[in-house]
Amino acid sequence: MTHPTADSQPAGSSRPFDVPYRRFSPARIGTIAGSTVTQLLRMRIVVFLVLFCVLVVAVGFSFPVLDPEQQLKMLKDVSFGALQIYALIMAVVATSLLLPKDVEDRTLYTILAKPVPRHEYLLGKLLGVLAVIAGGLVIMDVVLSFVLWQKQHSVLADNEAALMLQFSGKIPAGLLEQANANLIAQGLTWYLHLAVWAIFLKAAVLASLTLLISCFASSTLFTVISGFGVAILGHAEGLLRDYFFSGGAGTFDKSLSALLAVAIPDLGIFDAVDAVVSGKALALSEMATMTGIAALYVTGYVVVSHLVFVEKEL
Amino acid sequence: MKARHWALIVLLLLGIVKIPVERAASRTLRDHQVLQPPPNLSLRDNLGQLSFAAALGGLRSLVASITYLQGFTAHEHNDWASVDRLMTITTLLQPRYAAYWDSAAAFMSYDAAHYYRYNRERPFILRDQLYQQHIERGQAILQEGLRHLPNSARLHEQLGYVFARRMQTGDRPQPGDTWLPPDHKRAGEEFLKARQCGALPAIERQAAYQFALLDNDPEAWRTGYEILMRTYRTGFRPEGMLLAIKTFEEKLGIPAAQRIPEGPRLPAR
Repeated sequence: MTHPTADSQPAGSSRPFDVPYRRFSPARIGTIAGSTVTQLLRMRIVVFLVLFCVLVVAVGFSFPVLDPEQQLKMLKDVSFGALQIYALIMAVVATSLLLPKDVEDRTLYTILAKPVPRHEYLLGKLLGVLAVIAGGLVIMDVVLSFVLWQKQHSVLADNEAALMLQFSGKIPAGLLEQANANLIAQGLTWYLHLAVWAIFLKAAVLASLTLLISCFASSTLFTVISGFGVAILGHAEGLLRDYFFSGGAGTFDKSLSALLAVAIPDLGIFDAVDAVVSGKALALSEMATMTGIAALYVTGYVVVSHLVFVEKEL
Repeated sequence: MKARHWALIVLLLLGIVKIPVERAASRTLRDHQVLQPPPNLSLRDNLGQLSFAAALGGLRSLVASITYLQGFTAHEHNDWASVDRLMTITTLLQPRYAAYWDSAAAFMSYDAAHYYRYNRERPFILRDQLYQQHIERGQAILQEGLRHLPNSARLHEQLGYVFARRMQTGDRPQPGDTWLPPDHKRAGEEFLKARQCGALPAIERQAAYQFALLDNDPEAWRTGYEILMRTYRTGFRPEGMLLAIKTFEEKLGIPAAQRIPEGPRLPAR
């Protein structure tokens, strides 16, 4: 393929191609990612974010009969559940829609008719989806943090008032601190943001795998179903892998579990939410492990996607 | 070779590379208690297909919260079998969250046990059996919880209280009763473990009070006496503690010169 250069421009014409052509251009990728974000925002995902905010505020003031620690945990559980569902749906459905929609709108032909390599198009699309997922998660994280902080302060004040009443204004030394320690562990900590990062990593892996599927899939429905199938199997991949390495399984079972273990990413690795919601502190080294594994998957799936997409007849 | 063949080769290589990496990472993250152990497949029968899939799909904490709420509702209706079943599921889903073990044990060893004990609609012998069974169930739940969380001050403390209170103060076993008497020795030991795990100093004094109730255990008396004397020297001297110190002085035969000056007199033995 020949690309226009400054030398190929007719004399005297304006010179739009003065900038030398680069085989890899972050600016081109950024443009495609930007248009993908616009494309996705037009699909009214903001409605989901508004619903999330309403849900968090509602749960924040629900279940008053539970003890204060459980109230805080319930708020986190419901909110993180919504965060995970949002990230999962966006990673699978939004990514599945991208290529078919571009084919349907003929945008794909317009873009690829220009000197845009296919790998840049794929990267731009993936980054666009990831930007929308990340933006949504950041907004939801901010709302959750604010409501949780408010709830935590209200619960701590109630707790102190109850102890003051119980001990006639003289709370024994250390008792308030210990009673508050459990509540603070269930309140707003910076580990919650690391759990949000873990959700994003999982969504990034799933989105890159869905992009790979959509490169060879014949229909959007097939991509969506396969994406959700991978999401479910990916969470059970640890069990499959253990089964593969266990001694007792038969040849057929072992082959099947080995095939699935090779083909499907272990999404369970990114399930730090359970530990964080229970009050466990996360170390940065643990997050680095998760991030490294996610980078391995995303790089691998993008390379394979490119190899499939580069030969695809459009 | 076509690009699609390369795609297959890269995918296969990625799969082969990722398995040992995933395996090592899972093991490390599980050892650091960041990841939960894989859900028990028997949970599927209790949870139902959809909830099991949700629990497997990263919503384990949310499913645990829902089963906890269901258990709480069953508790309000005194449906103790359902409470036990639902709390078992909850603790299986999140075995590293001490509050679930604590609640599950309290529901059984206090609420259910006393519900049956004072339920006059049932024959006395049945009430007796159910009372004992539910206290034992609460103990078993806490002991199982401590298997997952061996350093939980909260669970050690609660187990101490169950051993100490499993028959209310003032009750005395009657001939033919099978009610469990308090086990002051084990209660004291659990309170000491709780203190070692970070519980308040008051819990250590609880251990001493339990040891003061033992009939013949000089080693435990000595431990209890030292705990209380340590507190006594700080200047904190509540009436109950002085009484317990006097008990230890009598039991250990502390010389008169070393005994504390104040405190209530013990009744003549």
